[in-house]
Amino acid sequence: MSEKIKKPFKLSRLIRKTIFYLFIVTLAVVIILPVFFLVSLSFLSTREAYLYPLPLLPSLKARYSLTYGERGYLLSVYDDFNKEYQTVLDTNDFEKMSVYMHSQIGTPFSIPEIEEVIKDLESGPEDTVYFSARKDLLYNYDTFFKVTREAVPALLRSLQIAGMTILISLSIGGLAGYAFARYIFAGRDALKFSVLFVRMFPGVAIALPMVIILANMGFYDRPIGLSLVYSVGSISLTIWITASIFIGIPESLEEAAQVFGATKVQSFLRVTLPLALPGLAAAAMYAFLGAWNETVSAIILTQFNPTFSVVVYQTLLGSVGQVNLAAAGGLVMALPSVFFTFFIRKYIQQMWGGVTI
Amino acid sequence: MATLKMQNVTKQFGRNVIAVRDFNLEVKEQEFLVLLGPSGCGKTTAMRMVAGLEEVTTGKIFIGDRDVTDLPPRKRNVSMIFQNYAVWPHMTVYDNIAFALKLKNLPAEEIDRKVKEAAGLAKIEMLLDRLPAQLSGGQQQRVAVSRAIAVNPDIFLMDEPLSNLDAKLRVSMRTELKAIHEKAGSTTVFVTHDQSEAMSMADRIVIMKDGEVIQVGSPDDVYHRSRSIFVADFIGTPPTNFMEVDVRKEGEGIHLVNSHLNLLLEPALAKHLNTYSKDKIILGVRPENMLLVSEDEAALSASCLVSEPQGSHQVVAIQLDDSIIKVIAPASPTILPGTAVHMSFKQETLRFFDPDTTLAIND
Ligand SMILES: Nc1ncnc2c1ncn2[C@@H]1O[C@H](COP(=O)(O)OP(=O)(O)OP(=O)(O)O)[C@@H](O)[C@H]1O
Ligand SMILES: [Mg+2]
Repeated sequence: MSEKIKKPFKLSRLIRKTIFYLFIVTLAVVIILPVFFLVSLSFLSTREAYLYPLPLLPSLKARYSLTYGERGYLLSVYDDFNKEYQTVLDTNDFEKMSVYMHSQIGTPFSIPEIEEVIKDLESGPEDTVYFSARKDLLYNYDTFFKVTREAVPALLRSLQIAGMTILISLSIGGLAGYAFARYIFAGRDALKFSVLFVRMFPGVAIALPMVIILANMGFYDRPIGLSLVYSVGSISLTIWITASIFIGIPESLEEAAQVFGATKVQSFLRVTLPLALPGLAAAAMYAFLGAWNETVSAIILTQFNPTFSVVVYQTLLGSVGQVNLAAAGGLVMALPSVFFTFFIRKYIQQMWGGVTI
Repeated sequence: MATLKMQNVTKQFGRNVIAVRDFNLEVKEQEFLVLLGPSGCGKTTAMRMVAGLEEVTTGKIFIGDRDVTDLPPRKRNVSMIFQNYAVWPHMTVYDNIAFALKLKNLPAEEIDRKVKEAAGLAKIEMLLDRLPAQLSGGQQQRVAVSRAIAVNPDIFLMDEPLSNLDAKLRVSMRTELKAIHEKAGSTTVFVTHDQSEAMSMADRIVIMKDGEVIQVGSPDDVYHRSRSIFVADFIGTPPTNFMEVDVRKEGEGIHLVNSHLNLLLEPALAKHLNTYSKDKIILGVRPENMLLVSEDEAALSASCLVSEPQGSHQVVAIQLDDSIIKVIAPASPTILPGTAVHMSFKQETLRFFDPDTTLAIND
């Protein structure tokens, strides 16, 4: 027999729970809403993107009506909010009509199809025909890559820069972190603290001196130059992350490996490194995100070879009337970060769950 | 299996800390030698120098005929059990044991055979597939033992391997380690600060203090023939009782006298003091060597402070001026606090120490 114990009602607990859930919901709204709008916006047609109020979800098709106009044919689109057809075009030019339907409303509609509709109009008894067209949801993404010629090379360049940043900051920062964890030397603590100084400056503040230094080194406007700049910041973070990981790995584990036949290098590679993997993964993630998302320094430090974040930024600036394109670019930009974070998550989780040291 | 020899080994850390000072030691083949001493006396440092994890400042170390002083750990053919076990958490028990064998590039079947053999000796055959996180402390300890046996080392080093186990397991692991040592027959150096562990396991005990060797001898030696007040005090629970006494030569006999005590020494003992010139000694007597007697036979009388029953016997604490001595008495009758206790000594067991040098006079 299991006895159910009824908890006495307590006002304070109710209040605490309420506040807790309010907090959680607020947090969710703050984080999820902007992402939701960005995703939704990236699928809206240009016309939808400038409607008021903005539709919450992209429509999947558009309903048209066609009738005779002053200059030719009058094309109207159904507005879900106002529940009426709104005239958008009065033209004789079928090509113009087709392009408009595709680029502004997002529904691909060829000239023969238009001619078909017009035949219906002319042969039918009414002076208006109604028809609908399916929407091309990926139109914005397609267009983003078509319009911004630099998008694909910039994407590859950004990946390359992020990869090099990870490599540089993990190899240098990881080794330094190991040294900070294992060896006692004069000025160790001061030095360990001072590597954080570099993170106290905003990136822009050191960007100009960086331009000069990189130009002198011949690295201006080259991926290696940017990854060096990003490494400066992420090395210091990597040092702190890896040092605390290495401190948590008892030295006796390495010593045991040496007693049982390993060289110093072998004991590092076979014992310490696998155990430090979660920390290294976390450091790699920070390095990647830092390098991938950074825009300000990238604008200053590149000229003809922009990174992807710069391209997205420029689309946003130069695209009055095209925010939905910028949103698509922004999402393309976010995808690798999301993938990378998910991929690396399982290693980071080891730090809290999996292997206990 | 081999001998181990340490010659004038000194280890200095930084400018001020001398952890081990002029250390000389020979460990015989198949011997179980225990390094015993209080915390911070340099036991671990001495052992780590043998393993090669710490460089010697001066001196030499030989394993068998090989001078290993400057060899890295992996070339010394020693194995070690660490105080925290140091089993690798990301490897299964099997891989932990096989690690050293794989590094030696042994054929797979041979590795398999040796791993299973070593696991069998430590009774962990059924745990081979587990990760250390899935094992209890005692089981991890066994993994560390198997790993150490599997390589068939010249010297077996153990640094307080039992200190993280609970009291009961510690005692049973003692027996097992000793049994494993009998079977494997390896030369073993075992570090501990627990004197009862040392007494129960050692062939010989090396007692250390402040980085120096104080006494080397069998458990019997260090217990019954302690060479200094430090050893007599460190070994045994409860430890040796000490009393400062005057030496009075009256006619043929020698009396030991203080405010509670007047003891006429038997000739066999008295002869040790013949050449002794000072008039005071420290008398050392082990608690079990004091006998409760009737009042007229007593050499020492005082009142009981408290009595601690131990089942098989009782430990009686007795107040003498400002010091307390302890006596082991039969379990019954229970001696009540405040009652007068009359004692005599088993004279042949008495130890005399020089109050200035603290060294034993009767050796
Ligand atoms: N790496 C080091 N640097 C400086 N001093 C050290 C170092 N290692 C040990 N010492 C000092 O050397 C002395 C001996 O230390 P050791 O670890 O050998 O003692 P121990 O006998 O093993 O003690 P315990 O029983 O507590 O383990 C101690 O005073 C210690 O502070
Ligand atoms: Mg120690």
